[in-house]
Amino acid sequence: MLQTAFNGLITGIIVTLPALSVTLLFGVLKFPNFAVGAMMTLAAYMVFALNVQLGWPLTIATAAVAVAFGGLLIVIDYLTFRPLRQRDSITLMVASLGLGFVLENIARLAYGNTARSFAIELARPFRFLDIRMNREQMITVVVSTLAMLAMYFLLTRMPIGRAMRAVSDNPALALVRGIESPRIIRWTWFIAGMLLAVGGVLIGMDRALEPPMGSSYLIAAFAAAILGGLGSPLGAFVGALIIGIVSELATLVIPPNYRIGIPLCVIALILIFRPQGLFGQPYIRK
Amino acid sequence: MISFLILMATVVCFSAILALALNFQWGLGGMVNFGLAGLYALGAYSCALLMLKGGANTFFATLGAMAIVAAACGIIALVTLRVAEEDYFAIVTLGAGEMLRLAVLNEDWLTKGALGLTGVPRPLGEIIAPEHYQYFQLGLALGVLLGTVWFLNVIARSPFGRIVRALREDDVVAATLGKHVLWARVRIFAIGGAIIGLAGSFHAFYYQYIDPTQFSNIVIAYAFMAVIAGGRGAHYGTIAGAAIVMVLLEGSRFIKDLIPMLDSDQLAAIRIIIIGVGLILLLIFRPQGFAREYRLQVEIR
Repeated sequence: MLQTAFNGLITGIIVTLPALSVTLLFGVLKFPNFAVGAMMTLAAYMVFALNVQLGWPLTIATAAVAVAFGGLLIVIDYLTFRPLRQRDSITLMVASLGLGFVLENIARLAYGNTARSFAIELARPFRFLDIRMNREQMITVVVSTLAMLAMYFLLTRMPIGRAMRAVSDNPALALVRGIESPRIIRWTWFIAGMLLAVGGVLIGMDRALEPPMGSSYLIAAFAAAILGGLGSPLGAFVGALIIGIVSELATLVIPPNYRIGIPLCVIALILIFRPQGLFGQPYIRK
Repeated sequence: MISFLILMATVVCFSAILALALNFQWGLGGMVNFGLAGLYALGAYSCALLMLKGGANTFFATLGAMAIVAAACGIIALVTLRVAEEDYFAIVTLGAGEMLRLAVLNEDWLTKGALGLTGVPRPLGEIIAPEHYQYFQLGLALGVLLGTVWFLNVIARSPFGRIVRALREDDVVAATLGKHVLWARVRIFAIGGAIIGLAGSFHAFYYQYIDPTQFSNIVIAYAFMAVIAGGRGAHYGTIAGAAIVMVLLEGSRFIKDLIPMLDSDQLAAIRIIIIGVGLILLLIFRPQGFAREYRLQVEIR
């Protein structure tokens, strides 16, 4: 029981990074991005190429890919979403779905469907109060916590983070105050790219690298973001932890194959009882 | 070669029915459906299981599959009863579709999991001689396709069709005018679901063997491509779009002859990449598609 809850906590921590990207991208661009899962897959395979094929240490490879991937997403946004910026959110969602298919299958084209793993040496799991914790899980906790602290610092203390929150809160007002939205959108993609690259590596360490690895976390990431209130970074963090623990504990009762059903049920329940999420503002349609 | 063309035309027919279902839900009603692959699988499996385990004949199995998928779609539409945002709805459909695909893969006692179901009966399969069967099948598929188009045309021009389009354009205005938005949405999605069930049944009849790999993301990519290329809301355009996309998809099998070192996984990946890129390019450069939606027009003299 305790061990299951702990594993759930780790799952939740892994989901925090994609959930945060979902919520940041939604806040600034105003549509849910369905390509987020495939983006993590592609980034993880890029790290795999540097780490296994070129023999770079995993940390350096991840850092390099995180920066490069942030840049890549700016380019992708320029090519795909920028021409569609003024369209309704359905068009953008469909475009992001198409983009997701493209990115995931680029990874499949390059590396096939076989599961692969990063080059990390095996280590003996730690034991603490009857809880088993292996080294990958420790890395996950440390890396995610650092990323979250960095995000908190960025969003509350740095001008660019405040500008991102302003645009996400009220784009027209932000514009009046002289915040250029194209610049903010570029920064958002860059930051989301870094988060997604790290998230992809953590998923690859937890399970294995295969083309659907990122998309399998997509529903959980959306559920976490909606639970916390779409557009609220703190909410995404709390939501991800709740989703992780609940879905892992649920496997005590339901078959583990249906773990993905839990986030879905959570989404359904929130939409019925509290559509604005735990931390979101009630949304008033004009 | 003739035989290949006939089979191809049959595939185009039931793919076009699937595209029409998406066109009704998304093109006319503005309800995006990212769970299409799972719902299509639900239709095909319901039809096959009703015959193999339930002992129904092909006609009642098809009706049953239509009812089951319509009910599933209705429930999905009900979940979003308090939020009118398309964003949430898209996420719910995506998750529901994934759940259905997981269920098909994991419920071995019912669906035989990854092995798939074999020996699905065909309509009038025992009466018509095997060498003529493909002609009959094409005729039947064409007939059902035309029937579907006729049905959708009637709906699109009926008062309910006006509500459907009004909801797509602005649901707040429709609600202000006293239309019951939630109930209309449930009906739109359920009608689309029945048509998905019809297409799924034909899928099962045609292949006589269904397994989970047939219902991958390529189904979603293909259907969206067909609807966008055909022009959202345009029925005949959607059929033309479905035909073009299907011919391109089948034609891409010949890439293997040009570049022999590709294996089948890579080939499938290339096909999805081409569709995905095509989808984005169409959305950017030709969002209205190549055909026009039906509009009531009056000549002014």
